[in-house]
Amino acid sequence: MNTMLNLVNRHNKVFRRDRMLVFFSILSVIIVIMLYAIFIQKTQVDAIEQLVPASDQLKTMVNEWMVAGLLSIIAVTTTLAALGIYIKDLETKVMADFLTTPNARAKIQLSYVINSLLIGFVLSLIGLIACQLFIVFMGGSWFSLEKIAQLIGIIALAVTLSSVFNLFLTLLVSTQNAFSTLNTVVGTAIGFLCGVYVPLGAVPEFVQKIIMLFPISHTTVLFREALMRDSLDKVFEGAPEAANTYEIQFGVHYEWNDVIFSQLDSVIYIVAAIIVFTLISLWLYGKKNK
Amino acid sequence: MELVIDVKNLSKKYGSHEAVKGISFEVKKGALFAFLGTNGAGKSTSIEMLCTLLEKTSGDVKINGVSLGSRTNNYLIRKAIGVVFQQSILDTRLTVEENILHRGNIYKLTKKELQENWEFVNRYLHLKDIAKKKYGTLSGGQKRRADIARAIIHKPTILFLDEPTTGLDPQTRVFVWDAIKKLQEETNMTIFLTTHYMEEAAVADEIVVMKEGKIVSKGTPHTLKEQYTYDELFVFFNNGVDGTSLLTQHDLNFAEKNGEYRVRVQSTIHALDILKELQNFISSFEVKKGSMDDVFIRINEEVPLT
Ligand SMILES: Nc1ncnc2c1ncn2[C@@H]1O[C@H](COP(=O)(O)OP(=O)(O)OP(=O)(O)O)[C@@H](O)[C@H]1O
Ligand SMILES: [Mg+2]
Repeated sequence: MNTMLNLVNRHNKVFRRDRMLVFFSILSVIIVIMLYAIFIQKTQVDAIEQLVPASDQLKTMVNEWMVAGLLSIIAVTTTLAALGIYIKDLETKVMADFLTTPNARAKIQLSYVINSLLIGFVLSLIGLIACQLFIVFMGGSWFSLEKIAQLIGIIALAVTLSSVFNLFLTLLVSTQNAFSTLNTVVGTAIGFLCGVYVPLGAVPEFVQKIIMLFPISHTTVLFREALMRDSLDKVFEGAPEAANTYEIQFGVHYEWNDVIFSQLDSVIYIVAAIIVFTLISLWLYGKKNK
Repeated sequence: MELVIDVKNLSKKYGSHEAVKGISFEVKKGALFAFLGTNGAGKSTSIEMLCTLLEKTSGDVKINGVSLGSRTNNYLIRKAIGVVFQQSILDTRLTVEENILHRGNIYKLTKKELQENWEFVNRYLHLKDIAKKKYGTLSGGQKRRADIARAIIHKPTILFLDEPTTGLDPQTRVFVWDAIKKLQEETNMTIFLTTHYMEEAAVADEIVVMKEGKIVSKGTPHTLKEQYTYDELFVFFNNGVDGTSLLTQHDLNFAEKNGEYRVRVQSTIHALDILKELQNFISSFEVKKGSMDDVFIRINEEVPLT
């Protein structure tokens, strides 16, 4: 079997069979759902009812808003958990064992990144299916094929960005202890940095700017736009002013000093961030293994 | 005889600390070579340099005639060596078979080669009963079996083992040791190991003793014993016999404690002559050969043999 395929396969098995690792990689998802059930959903519905009269579509729209946040968080936490295998292997000398084989260190390193992409992608897809079922169960409708294709595209972007971003962070630590701290920090911060725990409009302006600059939050924006557009149009029918206020307050699209970010702008920003974090990671990696 | 490892002036500096200070030695093909030394002597550092895991600071190393250093050469060396680490490096949630086949696959073997090698390691390490078990559920001895199997799945010609028996119970140590010996004898694999256990080193073909980064002694167990130990004769005299004056008369070097006289002899054979002289005066005796433990203690205490 091809060496790379074999290595990825091994990392994958190690991940899948560690039930706790899988569980903790989606723990923040469970937290989001709980927070949502307890208060985020209600406060949001109340806020919207101040703007427009309540409609059937309202609840579905708010559900979609949450799902968008979930999907971007899953991409981050699962890819990071998968990279944890690299740190564990480093500390327990498994890496040294791999390095006694005639293979380049860079190739072995790359296998962990590929595995992280794979795990992030598969778990995000499972997340997408679960979200679709949730939306339908709560009275929403099935996604069109076009929407599914669009969502899968955004998942691919989100997973790639998360993976290289996490790779960069992972290269900064070298012990399992430090990594577990990193994991906790990322797991906690990501919900805020993507405007999922607290809507964008509810935080001070400089924090809003930080969130807008944080590249991963742009994946949330793309997910929101893709998931919510139909419902948005229905809920805010004939009230473009209210629609705009809501979309900015809840981060469906970003407005920076009166300049509106288009979806394309977000995609470009994400791709640029992927390139930047890849380059920084390569540099860090080179520095570490001189 | 063919040399498989040829080390000249090898040294390693960690920052300003010189862990290995210009050591030289040779290992012959098919030999069981033991690296002995107290904690921090530089054994692991040396072995890691030979295994291409750690870059040397200076010196020359040739493994199977290939100079260690360049990337292509190191790849050639890596194909020829297997390494058993002190700690477990297999995955606890994978079965023994999965573990070994996954690692074997990284050597770019064909399916057929891998299958043949799997049968080969099975034969030497009797994996049949544990192949389908999760590595994490195995006992210490079974784990070690799997570890060694992993190290030889690509049929290396040289097997490095860093303290393969440290922390194992005596029974498991014997098992591991037997497996290593069998591999050496039946496949002519060269074995290079480090250990703290003297009795293990005693069955090696060649021993190198390291201390503070330097080689302080090398030779076969036999020559080391000759160099660093002496045999002793212990005697108890009959009641009423003045042992001290008797032994002094015969010009013997001895010490007495609780009526037991400890006489240093050149070799066990010489004890025979002394016993003949004393046979009418002694009630019991014992002859003890110098052990590897004595060698080790002497080398490390730097007690000169007088
Ligand atoms: N990565 C490192 N950085 C700095 N010093 C090190 C490093 N690794 C080992 N040393 C030092 O080098 C010396 C030799 O260590 P080494 O691990 O080679 O000894 P050893 O003979 O294998 O000992 P032990 O029997 O305890 O395994 C020690 O003084 C150790 O503290
Ligand atoms: Mg050591």
